[in-house]
Amino acid sequence: MTAKGKALPRLDLPPLRQVGRPLRRVDALGKAVGTTVYAGDFTMPDMLHAKVFRSSEPSAHIKQLNVNKARALPGVACVLTADDLPDGKLITDMPGQTGQERRKESDAPVLAARGVRFVGEPIALVAAETLAIAEQALKLIEIEYEVLPGVFDPLEAIKPGAPIIHKPDNIVASWKIRKGNAEAGLAAADLIVENTFRVPFIDHAYIEPEAGVAWMDDQDVINIRVCTQVVEHFRSIAQAVGVPHNKVHVRGTMIGGGFGGKEDITVEIFLALLTKETRRPVRLAYTREESILAHSKRHPFIITHRTGVKNNGRITGAKINMISDSGAYPYLSPYVLLYATVTSCGPYRIDNLTVDSVSVATNNPFASAFRGFGGAQAAVAYEQQMDEMAKALAMDPLELRKINYLKTGDFNAIGQQIKSAIWLEEEATQALAALGKKESVSDDAIKIGQGFATTMQSYGRIMWFHDTSRSWVGIEQDGTIVVRCGAPDLGAGQANSLCLIAAEVLGVSLTDVTFYNSDSAVTPLAGTTTATRQLYMSGNATLKAAKMVREVLLDRAAQHFREKPNNLDLADNKVFIKSDPQQWLSLADLSKMCAVDGLKLQHLALFAAPFADKLNPENLQGDIFPDFTFSAHAIEVAVDTKTGEITVLKSVGCHDVGRAINPIAVEGQIQGGSAQGIGYALMEEVQVRDGVTRTPSLSEFLIPTAKDLPTTRAIILESGTGVGPFGAKGIGEPALTPAAPAVANAVANAIGVRIHNLPLTPERVLAALDRAKRG
Amino acid sequence: MKAKAITLNVNGRRHQVTLFPNVTLLEALRDLNYTDVKNGCEKGDCGACAVELNGRIINSCLVLAWQADGARILTNAGLGTMESPHPLQEAFADAGAVQCGYCTSGMIIAAKALLDENPNPSETEIREAISGNLCRCTGYSQIINAVQMTAEKMMQQKAQE
Amino acid sequence: MLPEFELLMPRTLPEALEMMDESSKVMPLAGGTNLLVDLRGRLSRPQTLINIGGLDELRGVRVEDGYIVVGSAATIADLKRNALIAKHGQALRQAATVFANPLIRNRATIGGNLAYGSPAADAAPPLLVLGAEVELLSKDTRRTVPLEEFITGVRKTVRHPRELITAIRWPIPPEGSVGVFRKLGLRKADAISVLSIAVMLLHMDTGDCDQLRIALGAVAPTPIRAAAAEDLLDGGPLTPEVIAQAAQLASEATQAIGDIRGSAAYRKRVITALVQRLLTNLAKDTKEKKH
Ligand SMILES: Cc1cc2nc3c(=O)[nH]c(=O)nc-3n(C[C@H](O)[C@H](O)[C@H](O)COP(=O)(O)OP(=O)(O)OC[C@H]3O[C@@H](n4cnc5c(N)ncnc54)[C@H](O)[C@@H]3O)c2cc1C
Ligand code: FES
Ligand code: FES
Repeated sequence: MTAKGKALPRLDLPPLRQVGRPLRRVDALGKAVGTTVYAGDFTMPDMLHAKVFRSSEPSAHIKQLNVNKARALPGVACVLTADDLPDGKLITDMPGQTGQERRKESDAPVLAARGVRFVGEPIALVAAETLAIAEQALKLIEIEYEVLPGVFDPLEAIKPGAPIIHKPDNIVASWKIRKGNAEAGLAAADLIVENTFRVPFIDHAYIEPEAGVAWMDDQDVINIRVCTQVVEHFRSIAQAVGVPHNKVHVRGTMIGGGFGGKEDITVEIFLALLTKETRRPVRLAYTREESILAHSKRHPFIITHRTGVKNNGRITGAKINMISDSGAYPYLSPYVLLYATVTSCGPYRIDNLTVDSVSVATNNPFASAFRGFGGAQAAVAYEQQMDEMAKALAMDPLELRKINYLKTGDFNAIGQQIKSAIWLEEEATQALAALGKKESVSDDAIKIGQGFATTMQSYGRIMWFHDTSRSWVGIEQDGTIVVRCGAPDLGAGQANSLCLIAAEVLGVSLTDVTFYNSDSAVTPLAGTTTATRQLYMSGNATLKAAKMVREVLLDRAAQHFREKPNNLDLADNKVFIKSDPQQWLSLADLSKMCAVDGLKLQHLALFAAPFADKLNPENLQGDIFPDFTFSAHAIEVAVDTKTGEITVLKSVGCHDVGRAINPIAVEGQIQGGSAQGIGYALMEEVQVRDGVTRTPSLSEFLIPTAKDLPTTRAIILESGTGVGPFGAKGIGEPALTPAAPAVANAVANAIGVRIHNLPLTPERVLAALDRAKRG
Repeated sequence: MKAKAITLNVNGRRHQVTLFPNVTLLEALRDLNYTDVKNGCEKGDCGACAVELNGRIINSCLVLAWQADGARILTNAGLGTMESPHPLQEAFADAGAVQCGYCTSGMIIAAKALLDENPNPSETEIREAISGNLCRCTGYSQIINAVQMTAEKMMQQKAQE
Repeated sequence: MLPEFELLMPRTLPEALEMMDESSKVMPLAGGTNLLVDLRGRLSRPQTLINIGGLDELRGVRVEDGYIVVGSAATIADLKRNALIAKHGQALRQAATVFANPLIRNRATIGGNLAYGSPAADAAPPLLVLGAEVELLSKDTRRTVPLEEFITGVRKTVRHPRELITAIRWPIPPEGSVGVFRKLGLRKADAISVLSIAVMLLHMDTGDCDQLRIALGAVAPTPIRAAAAEDLLDGGPLTPEVIAQAAQLASEATQAIGDIRGSAAYRKRVITALVQRLLTNLAKDTKEKKH
């Protein structure tokens, strides 16, 4: 259920006609009736089927690779190995993407040449007439490994003498915050609380495994239809395949879930290579097992907080240490670590702060983006630490937080001033109120607990990346609207929001808008659908483009009515005089008039995010993100102290989203995001032993079913202070972040003892109870 | 391995196909362009491939096409179209029950099976009925709303008749 | 993709028996929820499958000579909605309601659940406490084996490659008997049992416990009966002390191992706790019933 938050002072919002109303999403019905076509649904005449040969060893030298038998198998069109690649690196850093130079030589090769660094690393590609032949060909590939010692624990990997994954050492990235004087801050404290928290590898587990088809066209362009969060990868693909950038065309499809897992390149690079080699259409679809083996994971973190606090609850200083396991290749690890570092102390004012963080290479599966992007891991630690401090002080957890919350205008851990609303206190209060009284149980073995967490999560990308987005809006001669914008739609309603913005500005109904998106050549490039940036970036670009069209329409109508454009408005597919709505003209007629006059009815707009210099590496002080979303989540659990089983009884998320462009979609984000957070807290873990995944499919890697979750009540507050269109803030990632620590706090509240590692398995619950008993 | 001619009755259409015995119903349906039936795991864990087989909801990845020879098969796309959607499809679209949409066809078939048996299910019964269908996007709440909305609407319609 | 195999489609049971073979290269296919998963994972490589899921002779639940007889191809969903099972196989019905998920339940068969020989088979503990027997038929033999002797190890049974399970049967429990089932998985639906327990109390009219049966799943190479615990409870009153002791004995009967779902120590400990809880509830319920 959506509940509108109680009225808080908010910026003057313009009256809106469609934005903010619970309208059916433009993409919803097609998906509901099963008409929407996904990447794996495309086939082409004369198509080949591809398979990837992958490493079974986590750390080995490839002594010999022989693909002759596979090549000789009738029906095999081609087998490619690293020898066939012109320039075989997966470059993640392109200008305008992350724009960062990183350690040379550590980018993942497209296909492993001399050695392998994780189980599942791609070594060879096969394309064949049928899938069965492709599978058979894989079995004919002969490989001889010289197994090398591997390292599977980041703490081991940073020790001297550990096997080195990439020269010169296993440190993939490190960051440090130096603010005030942490030593002095801790010395001034009445009490020091220290805890170490751990979170595991987890899989995105979108229900759609990666898939795509590719073909060459009559201009020698490699066309790739694929489910991706980033159509801009066409550049890296072109570079790796050895063709000019303008010879790769990525046509993104509707995506069956991404959550960061389709942010790095997946099948598209293999498709490009195979189609170029064979000059035939090629299809590649991962099985679930291959998906789990081949794509990134959420980083495991080990986070230690040492916090000093006065008896009155004021935090005097903190030292935070973070170690993340980046796995075998860095991918986006440096940035994930940076996000985690920047939000490491949460939405609290800590003037004396030291943070040291490192990301460490191991022979584990590689980790990269996952909804929350480091912010989620940081929150699991800082919000549990707050509760532990409250416990040590015998203080109410919300009271302690209130004393330390950042306020609008305050400076965060890196000294960036927060200019938007910070309604944490209000959010926590409302979430807890909605949770209500604890349920009572008669059975002594069942303990009920409540907990909450309040978090900050950025939206929009790091400001020194110079992020941009483009969107094109046009009106047709019958008054219908077209939006063209490169933004991929992951299912969260990205395309719908853009349509809604255009509909609002141009006074048409949502059903009058058609969108084209996610195409690297045909739609204006809008940047990645990551970092909760599309509503902010492409929303603003679309808003700008729509306003340009609106201006042309109003100017022409002003001429017609002999009125000032300011006195006119657009609504209900009409232009009318505000003071005399009976005087109107249909948009169809108006746009025809414009066409007769040769006026420009289609506009391309660029939105550029504000730019900031890189943070000073000595202390990380400066500005980094355009803004943050502040959130609260409250949870009630029942814990069976005999079996360790946890049941989530109630769940409430309260978020200031600035402005809810589509309330149903916002509610959906809060419910879906918190479901992932609850899963993270309770059951999700990709178990890896000696580099081998012991949870290879969805039978072992468990995500919540409908029976594992209560209905999350979504309380939506609207401060109108975000930097997105109409004052919106981002909600995609923030929806997830507070849920896991809220569960952990509720469980600790129920059983009176803290479990420091996620997931909170029944077994860990019993172990914690034992520890408590032993004292 | 020898192929055999079988008949698949899908959404009221008869298809004569010659298939090898190791082809799953999921593969056969997708090859016949019933691509609303999705592949999410091929081992019964996700429910994206759910269809009705002789009135019972099953995972089409765990049925061999030969085993469905002559049987009645219903997929989500057989329930309605863009022009004339089934009440469940309409409710899913309106209630926000569709995000990425990849689980949706399986979900709707599971919901239909429930409503066929139990026109007025409780929230608990709905959660049980869709517990073999994973959704990673929605947290299930709006899906449950959609099923409840449909149940109410269909019961009202019945009452009026 | 599935590997290659031949698939035979018998229309009658005799036809199916005719097709069965000495070698394990021929395997019956019932619901396929174990077998097709294993084939896809290349964990099993039969040359020929015999589709027995659709055979009428193997369906249905009936009463016969004081026995409940369940056809081996009855699905878990069939069991869940069958009135005879609800009355005379309470623990089995409860197991059916928490078995896998609704889609799997429409395919998975009781015969397949036992024939597969998994220690975590959810139908096994309830059938053990019911004192079930497995009916095995081949072209020229017929025998009945107590379930306790049927499963001999992880994925091992006494079934001869030529035999089919045709039915599972158990004596109709005496009036007033009570059966319960509890399963612990790592999530609340669609989870393989970390452990499972079935308890059945037969005849309870004196206040003492005439006969109590306890069976445990996923804590030994096969589903097991907790004989020592049963003996202790036999004929005596269900006092808290006895219950605690019996729960301890039940746990000692296990040979639990650790895997990705839980450690051996955890399994043993929770068996104690849950056996104790189930027995305590049973004692309470029967007391309440008497008053
Ligand atoms: C997603 C999922 C969830 C599951 N959850 C559970 C669960 O919660 N609890 C649980 O216990 N199991 C579970 N299972 C396992 C499986 O569903 C059950 O074991 C099921 O009962 C097997 O029956 P079947 O008819 O599908 O067997 P099949 O797969 O057809 O056969 C299994 C084995 O038994 C043999 N066989 C089958 N029938 C006969 C017969 N009549 N005579 C001789 N041999 C025979 C076959 O040759 C094969 O070796 C799950 C499986 C999946 C895929
Ligand atoms: S594809 Fe059939 S259950 Fe996942
Ligand atoms: S809507 Fe994406 S998986 Fe359900």
